[in-house]
Amino acid sequence: MGSRASTLLREEEIEEIKKETGFSHSQITRLYSRFTSLDKGENGTLSREDFQRIPELAINPLGDRIINAFFPEGEDQVNFRGFMRTLAHFRPIEDNEKNKDPTASEPLNSRTNKLLFAFRLYDLDRDDKISRDELLQVLRMMVGLNMFVSQVLRMMVGLNMFVSQVLRMMVGVNISDEQLGSIADRTIQEADQNGDNSISFNEFIKVLEKVDVEQKMSIRFLH
Amino acid sequence: MGHLLFTGWNCRECQTFVEKFEGALGKGKGRKLYAYKVMMAKKMIKFNRDFENFKTACIPWERKIKEVESHFGSSVASYFLFLRWMFGLNMVLFGFMFGLVVLPEVLMGLPYGSIPRKVVPRAEQANAMDYSVLLDFGGYCQYSILFYGYYNDARTIGVFKFRLPLSYLLVGVGIFGYSLMVVIRMMARNSNEGGDGGDEGQFTFSFKMFTSWDYLIGNPETADNKFASVTTSFKESIVDEQENQKDENIHLRRFLRVLANFLILCCLGGSGFLIYYVVKQSQDNAKKDQDELTWFQKNEVDVVMSLLGLVCPPLFETIAELEEYHPRVALKWQLGRIFALFLGNLYTFLFALFDEVNEKLEEEKSIKNATMWSLKEYYANYSSYHNTTDVPPLDIAPADVVRGPCWETTVGVEFMKLTVNDIEVTYITILIGDFLRAVIVRFLNYCWCWDLEAGFPSYGEFDISGNVLGLIFNQGMIWMGAFFSPGLVGLNILRLISSMYFQCWAVMATNVPHERVFKASKSNNFYMGLLLLVLFLSLLPVIYIIMTMPPSFDCGPFSGREKMYDVILETLEELPTFIGNIVGYATNPGLILSAVLLMVLAIYYLNVTSKNYENANLELRKKMQMARDEEKNRRNNKETTNQAMQYLEDLLPNRSLIPPPVITEESALSKSSKVAKHPGAAANGKGVNLQKDVSLASPNPRAAVTRPPGPRGPPGHARGPPPGPGRGRGRGAPPPRR
Repeated sequence: MGSRASTLLREEEIEEIKKETGFSHSQITRLYSRFTSLDKGENGTLSREDFQRIPELAINPLGDRIINAFFPEGEDQVNFRGFMRTLAHFRPIEDNEKNKDPTASEPLNSRTNKLLFAFRLYDLDRDDKISRDELLQVLRMMVGLNMFVSQVLRMMVGLNMFVSQVLRMMVGVNISDEQLGSIADRTIQEADQNGDNSISFNEFIKVLEKVDVEQKMSIRFLH
Repeated sequence: MGHLLFTGWNCRECQTFVEKFEGALGKGKGRKLYAYKVMMAKKMIKFNRDFENFKTACIPWERKIKEVESHFGSSVASYFLFLRWMFGLNMVLFGFMFGLVVLPEVLMGLPYGSIPRKVVPRAEQANAMDYSVLLDFGGYCQYSILFYGYYNDARTIGVFKFRLPLSYLLVGVGIFGYSLMVVIRMMARNSNEGGDGGDEGQFTFSFKMFTSWDYLIGNPETADNKFASVTTSFKESIVDEQENQKDENIHLRRFLRVLANFLILCCLGGSGFLIYYVVKQSQDNAKKDQDELTWFQKNEVDVVMSLLGLVCPPLFETIAELEEYHPRVALKWQLGRIFALFLGNLYTFLFALFDEVNEKLEEEKSIKNATMWSLKEYYANYSSYHNTTDVPPLDIAPADVVRGPCWETTVGVEFMKLTVNDIEVTYITILIGDFLRAVIVRFLNYCWCWDLEAGFPSYGEFDISGNVLGLIFNQGMIWMGAFFSPGLVGLNILRLISSMYFQCWAVMATNVPHERVFKASKSNNFYMGLLLLVLFLSLLPVIYIIMTMPPSFDCGPFSGREKMYDVILETLEELPTFIGNIVGYATNPGLILSAVLLMVLAIYYLNVTSKNYENANLELRKKMQMARDEEKNRRNNKETTNQAMQYLEDLLPNRSLIPPPVITEESALSKSSKVAKHPGAAANGKGVNLQKDVSLASPNPRAAVTRPPGPRGPPGHARGPPPGPGRGRGRGAPPPRR
């Protein structure tokens, strides 16, 4: 795999990616081999179906949105450069970077840019605000309809598991839509500071200021 | 090197620097050693990480408990965590008992059949192997290592000169000491963790919204669990919010609470009197001829106990609805009340036990006299017959020797039977009360007039209080009985393991989540407190027996001695004299009194210091809260955004939730200091415009998932039926002695 990867990726490309994203040589080659293993069609680009084959993304309630984040506006294929550009957000922050050139533009993996990536997952219409409707959509995805579907499927398939599965009741498991609306309102109340009934990027940053984003939104195995 | 170039060292310094770090620079002699060190360091880190992973994977039942937690909330999971912790405690106790008492006796003691105490008496040998006798712990069971009577009283046994009687006594007392230490350590650790609640109040819902998913999950079942757990955690927060927003009519609530407590006290008093009366009756009945009594009269105590255990807990729960506490607080009250009820149960058990022990002691006296007398007779006859004073020892088969009643083994057998009884009752209750009910509701629903799932009886909820108390009382029984029956701890281990699997299955398959899912308190200190109380209650009888009651003369490791603790005195005599002197001085009452006085003063001092620290903590938190509120107020609009709300508030003075426009610092300070007493979200809400019309108060409709029975119309009631047989079976009662 290794030799194949390096023949398809030219040195100049690696240099450019290095400059743009900050990954090291070995990291780029490793990510390239991952890229090619995902690329079942072997045409040098990834489609949405290729991403959905990843199990962690398939069962993630925000999986579709994460996949969307890889694809630039309106396109259906992403090449290696685009792939790396998105992954650059998840590069671990190194200490010595903080002392480097202060005049250069903020690197893609800074805390603010990581949070911006997360923010864009919720802000679908890209108006730099998370409105109540967008929150409601996220809530609906997170709490329970998928679970219901998978439970029903399992019940139908697993008749031999009568005792443990068929009797498993789901009374009261889901939350009513009205309560979801209240939760969305409450969330906005907590986070909103300028009273426009939506969460702006700055308010988002304030909510998550105690979360160790640098560590949580970093690909650790690259160390 | 770049750093080096710029620091302006002279040549000599550069040289020493390069020499020192030769290896790191990849040149020179030190290179291989340095590379080796680096490699070892990396391997060490990897090994540590793998070991941590291994240790975490070794924690038993973690996945099961997480599954239960996701579906039923942290309060139900807290019971299983408590069960697991108990299992750990019992494993250690089992290790002590088994390794230091049972194993030496088995390996180095005399085998079965060699001496009278280790043999089934001739009279009982005919049916010693019968199933019914064995189930009652008679026959071969009784004369085995499971019980006190089997152990020999030889001062040392085997090649290693192991002092079994001393070990038995020390392990018996050490079990209590270890348990005490562990429980108190757990309580201390829990109280530590209850520290930082201040920060969480600020962004509860936002945090849950944005950070609750675990992106590393790849397994669909785990994903289901995570979904369930996210839902449950939202519901818990909703319950907490509801509590903070409740309308307060203080006087009515206080009156209702006083009324409820009064009613419950009446119930407890009534049941206490009933128990006393019934015990008195049974004592009188015991003196009468057994054939004249009806079955009911013979088993009065048992029946009354079971009835009380079944009826009172649901009754308490119904009365407790008057009080309208937060579910977490209500659970504590319920636990406390059922605990009081079961103390009565305990009282009757111990009472009856002591009666039996006294009886046996009387019997023993007479047998002892008889044995002495017959021995004297034998010597007299032998010497007069053979005309010699050198009399060979009496040569009878061990099974034929006249034996005393061995009251300690009887006590041990009683505890064993009680534990087995308890296990049976628990499992049968779960099977019938939960499983059978679920099956009936599920399948009868197709052909029944009303909706069984949404109305009566519906599916059971997991009875946290009953189960926790059952566990605690069971452990109390084990502590009391372990001294008289070394096998009891082993039985308990089996019970805990099977209980874990069985109850996990039962909860997932037959129970539904509580309607109001609430978060367990961060610490388990309430359970620990009850456990500590029960530990003391079970310590007292055992210590009393060790100190005052004479051991049986022919069975057990202390046979022949005046008191059980004489073993220690004997051991002390064998040690060098100066240790004996030291111990003699140390047990001087004067010294002990002074030590006690010193400890009391130390406790007082530590108490005062800890209160001071708590106050300082609270002050700091208040200050942080004020700073935060101030910042928020500065950025906020000063008026509410809801005009209609403002209009309504204007009409109703003194009930305003919307703070008046904050302009001066002093008003902000005073408001924040009042508000800081409620560190929950409502407090922050008061600083930010809390709109009361954000109603989180509408409860979940009980909507069953199974559609097939056909359209039955929407389940209209939001809260479901009043908690009749749905809850509280009082399974936790230690079943009365047979």
